[in-house]
Amino acid sequence: MNAALNHPILRRALSIPPSYFVFAMLLFVLWVARPHMLNLNIMGIFIRQIVPLGILVLGQLLVMRVRSIDLSGGGVILLVNYFISSGLFPGASLTFFIAIGLATGTAIGLFNGYMVARRRVSAVIVTLAVSIVLLGFVQFLSSGKPPGDVPAMFGEIYNTRWGPLPTPVLFWFALTGLMMIFLSRTVFGRYVASVGESAEAAHFAGVPVERTVILAHTLAGFIAAIAALVQTASIAVGSVRVGLDLPILAVAATILGGVVFGRGEGGVLGPFFGALSFALLFVVMTVFGIDEPGKLIAQGLIILLAAIFYGLRSGNAN
Amino acid sequence: MKLEPAIQPRPATRITSLLSGSRRKRGRQGLWLVPLLIAILIGIALALQTEQFLSRENLFNLVAQAMPLVITAIGQMFVVIVGGLDLSVGSTISFTTAILALDAPGYVLIPAVFVLAALIGLTNGLVITRFNVHPIIATLAMQYVILGFARMLRPVSGGTVPELVISSVAGSFLGIPMPVIWGVVVILIAWKLLYGSRFGLHLFAIGGGVASGAEDAARNFGIADRRNTVIAYVACSLFAGLAGVFLAGRIVSGDPNVGLLFELDAITAVAIGGTQLSGGIGSLHGTVIGALVLALLSNGMNLTNISPFVQTAIKGAILMFVVGLQSRKKMGL
Repeated sequence: MNAALNHPILRRALSIPPSYFVFAMLLFVLWVARPHMLNLNIMGIFIRQIVPLGILVLGQLLVMRVRSIDLSGGGVILLVNYFISSGLFPGASLTFFIAIGLATGTAIGLFNGYMVARRRVSAVIVTLAVSIVLLGFVQFLSSGKPPGDVPAMFGEIYNTRWGPLPTPVLFWFALTGLMMIFLSRTVFGRYVASVGESAEAAHFAGVPVERTVILAHTLAGFIAAIAALVQTASIAVGSVRVGLDLPILAVAATILGGVVFGRGEGGVLGPFFGALSFALLFVVMTVFGIDEPGKLIAQGLIILLAAIFYGLRSGNAN
Repeated sequence: MKLEPAIQPRPATRITSLLSGSRRKRGRQGLWLVPLLIAILIGIALALQTEQFLSRENLFNLVAQAMPLVITAIGQMFVVIVGGLDLSVGSTISFTTAILALDAPGYVLIPAVFVLAALIGLTNGLVITRFNVHPIIATLAMQYVILGFARMLRPVSGGTVPELVISSVAGSFLGIPMPVIWGVVVILIAWKLLYGSRFGLHLFAIGGGVASGAEDAARNFGIADRRNTVIAYVACSLFAGLAGVFLAGRIVSGDPNVGLLFELDAITAVAIGGTQLSGGIGSLHGTVIGALVLALLSNGMNLTNISPFVQTAIKGAILMFVVGLQSRKKMGL
């Protein structure tokens, strides 16, 4: 098997993130099964549903590039949703809500970063624990019941479109572009890449490893807050359950996109297509009548197979 | 590559060392006296606050409540000592209860549960050791796959479990309540595995290497590290299956959500018990004490009427705190 894996053509094919293959495959399945669904208007609506996931992926890929992980996105989404929908700040302006949401996310991200980089606590444990603390906190504040309605101004922005594409989708595309520029053109982007390759080597080369990891987590928290704002606008009501499965989906999309703990071959576009693949996957599963348990199994298998795909290659390289 | 001594002389693991306390402060057992003190303090506080705390019924009830966590935490401990982590145990517990509530005789279901649990562990172990997948990613993915299967079998809680399972956790044998017997048997099995077998010794050796950054150290000493790691994951899943059987007997039905977040409680218990999450250091008695501390805490929070939502938050905070206390070199996952 090793000899086969070393074949140059196969090696070349293996270095392409799986998300491209999965995306093409799902597109083909949809084209065969429901060709009439493949137009920009319908797809725009499906893609709009996964914009929060797509945005969360941008933060996830950042922390996974520095060999960390952020599972606290669910908690951030819940808390921001609670702030907006509970009527805690009556009559507040849109800017105020956006500001407090972003500040919350950034603070949580900073805390994650401090715990991971300075205290050296396992990132999975810390971010999961943060998520659970926030979940318990929000459920306590709202007594386990959905808090209330989201101010109408969120829905008004959410439902606008630019030509055939909904505004949230364009917003996601723009953020993705920004992240690509940020990672490829800034010093911080280089730091992220070097810490991902080898934290030890980066440290001896003068890269502030701890600060890079803290900043990556802080940015991930900030981005999670953006995702939370979009998610809140999309469901238009308060909820004590919204977005809890998003972090794990974001991890799945990121791995599918070729970014696995330090390895960043997928860049930003790989995970981007990973998120798009999930949009298509949900459509395909709905088309074939697969319900929630089937979706859970599919999510798990996708993470597992994508991780095995990378594990095989790294094992082979050694 | 710098090779730190991964294999230390075998520590005294007889009852005497249990009684004489942790003279070896940075030994292989970890700090387990501290949680024991915490457990005793919580116990005293609870006894002072409520009169019925020290009653026979309440204490046995407490054991029955704590047992699923004790069993799961013991399983988790094997994996943690070897330097891994199993996030799929909660789903395995749910899946077990869902299987047991199927419409089939007990002599089919009970063996089926353990075969399936072993298969889950085997898959975890093989994916991690053979395909170089990070334990957290592999078991996180497995958590979703198993949860999906559990919900497929039983979308909402219901059904009845075999009579044998129900009677094995209720009532008493020779005047001793069944949960206590379960606890003693499980602890004895785990004791034999961890302290009375080559397997247990090798777990410490592999984990010690992983923790000090020399993953190959144990292999260089001739230990079959992959095989032992796989067995550790199988053991972890089997213990989770056992906890699932116990829980199914308690709730008398199948519930696809009964194990939700259980993996975090188990990890918290292991961490409270002084086991290092980076591997190589840990103890069975510490883990049992850690699980009891958590059980006492939730018993106390129930007695003092703290909202279940706040309890969730407090548990999360405890997890963060105890894991935050452990120092390690590695950054990230």
